[in-house]
Amino acid sequence: MSTASNLRFISLTALLLLLAPVVSHAADEKGKWFGVEFPHDSPVVSVGFDFGPSTITSRGPSIVIDLHAALTLRNVGTKPICGLTLRVEAQDLSPHGRGSVIKPSLFVLPGEEFPVKVDMQLVRPISAARSESAMVQVTIDCALFSDLKAYGPDKLNSKRTLMVYEMEARRDRQFLTRLLDGGRLPELREELNFGNQDFIPRQLGLELLTGPRTISSREQALAVSPVNFPKGPVQPLGGAAQVAGNEVRAPRVDIRNVSKLHVVSVAMGWIVRDGHGTDFVAGALTSRLPIGPVQTSFISEAGTLRFSLPSGAPMVIDRLMTFVNDVEFADGTVWIPSRDDIDAATQDYILRRELATSPEEQRLASIYRREGTDGLKKELKRVSLSNSKPN
Amino acid sequence: MSTPAAEHPSIEILSLYATGDLPFVQRFRTSVHVRHCAACEQHVLTFQSTKAELRREAQGEVLTGYEAIADWQALEADMLGNIRVGVAASRCIENVGRRSRLGFRLAWGTGMAALFMAGWVARVPADESGRLISALRHVVGLEQPAFNGTVLRSTRDGISVKARGATLTILHPQSAVISMSGPASVTARYVDDDSGQVTITNVYGQ
Repeated sequence: MSTASNLRFISLTALLLLLAPVVSHAADEKGKWFGVEFPHDSPVVSVGFDFGPSTITSRGPSIVIDLHAALTLRNVGTKPICGLTLRVEAQDLSPHGRGSVIKPSLFVLPGEEFPVKVDMQLVRPISAARSESAMVQVTIDCALFSDLKAYGPDKLNSKRTLMVYEMEARRDRQFLTRLLDGGRLPELREELNFGNQDFIPRQLGLELLTGPRTISSREQALAVSPVNFPKGPVQPLGGAAQVAGNEVRAPRVDIRNVSKLHVVSVAMGWIVRDGHGTDFVAGALTSRLPIGPVQTSFISEAGTLRFSLPSGAPMVIDRLMTFVNDVEFADGTVWIPSRDDIDAATQDYILRRELATSPEEQRLASIYRREGTDGLKKELKRVSLSNSKPN
Repeated sequence: MSTPAAEHPSIEILSLYATGDLPFVQRFRTSVHVRHCAACEQHVLTFQSTKAELRREAQGEVLTGYEAIADWQALEADMLGNIRVGVAASRCIENVGRRSRLGFRLAWGTGMAALFMAGWVARVPADESGRLISALRHVVGLEQPAFNGTVLRSTRDGISVKARGATLTILHPQSAVISMSGPASVTARYVDDDSGQVTITNVYGQ
């Protein structure tokens, strides 16, 4: 191709890029991109949704779908719902990727309505094929009732997740009720961050890479220290991981079932200490792992994790610690650490706080901040009454 | 009328003017100058007389061998002068037009490049640019091969899963706490200001 032809090609491309029209679709057309579908026997149905400021734009070789859907759902079942997971699937990513929106600590009585917002963005190549169905589909994955029974296809292992959240919520509500009833207000204030509006739990950035990749030559083996809850049914014994800078690869932890029950899955919590000695609870990895009573086994992960500070700067990993976050037994029951277990596990006040912070405590702290002790009392009473309703 | 030396046409331009080989606009400009500049007029006259002499020689006024040898120095000077004029003229002809063509192409190319860059910045997502830069760095050996599996990532505004060239990002407020929630899952947790409810969003890769 001659220089003149090249230049003509580049200029045409530039013009196309500049003049690519911004496509805004009317609300009824957005239905072609976004679909909400619940099975006919679902305990929740959608009674309305609003797309608000959603837009669909073309940007270079990609199409950007910015969706801000506000759904109104109704409990049409016969039991109070205490947790819900909605599955968000995009045809472009299936089956390799998907998303979900979880609402724990709901207390929605039969006939009551509640809002769920889905704020998301999908970037896809314009050239990608498109089927007749909606580009983004939202459906129910699991609904957890107050009797800890569940409904839904549970493709995302949501029942277990919702159950852990609900048990943590009950533990923390009980703890706060005890503090209130016992007049231990200074402890209550401390527990709820003194109602400080600016308090935000420690944040970190995460990147999780799955699939085969090149191993860095800078990798070093780093020992994983166990944090033990004395009364836990499963105890971590120790382990190791390959660490390079802010990357952790192939973590492995040896564990022992010290209970008399058969374990079917274990969620190992991870704590990362950075170069300044600050601990971050990085989350928990659940593994399906059948372990008989008094047996030893190990948990290993194939993926690579990259940690960064909220500013985006890589976090230097100085130390790795692990603890048993929750255990699921063969009889369907789930164990979570009690407040006493957490207190006994570590002398580090901040780490103890991080381990004890559940979604429910975060919600109650927000109520305490806005409405004070009276608001908190009222909310605890409301939830207690909701849970005591016959199923 | 005297003209500043800086404004004199070059000797090449004058030689071309003398032989009538300049383009129209330049010829007009040079003639205006020569009419008012005695020095340049003298150069032009010299070129023209040399040209006339050469033409005369070409028309048969050929020196005999003896005369040529007798007036060898004059002949040598003439020949060298002719060669210099010829070389200068050819160089001048090469540059006349080329400069303007080059200038035009350069301006056009710069304009198109600026337009292209503006289009790229305005229209192409940062992800795509990053991928292109990464690919270029890979080509020149500055970067390891790109990762082709599923990538889960947290940013200040959301958690995303990237696979098969598409990216799904579930957005959250900046106060959200990020954690991992499975071997291939990233979670963001926040309290929704409007409803007061806790919302937990997840992205999953396989």
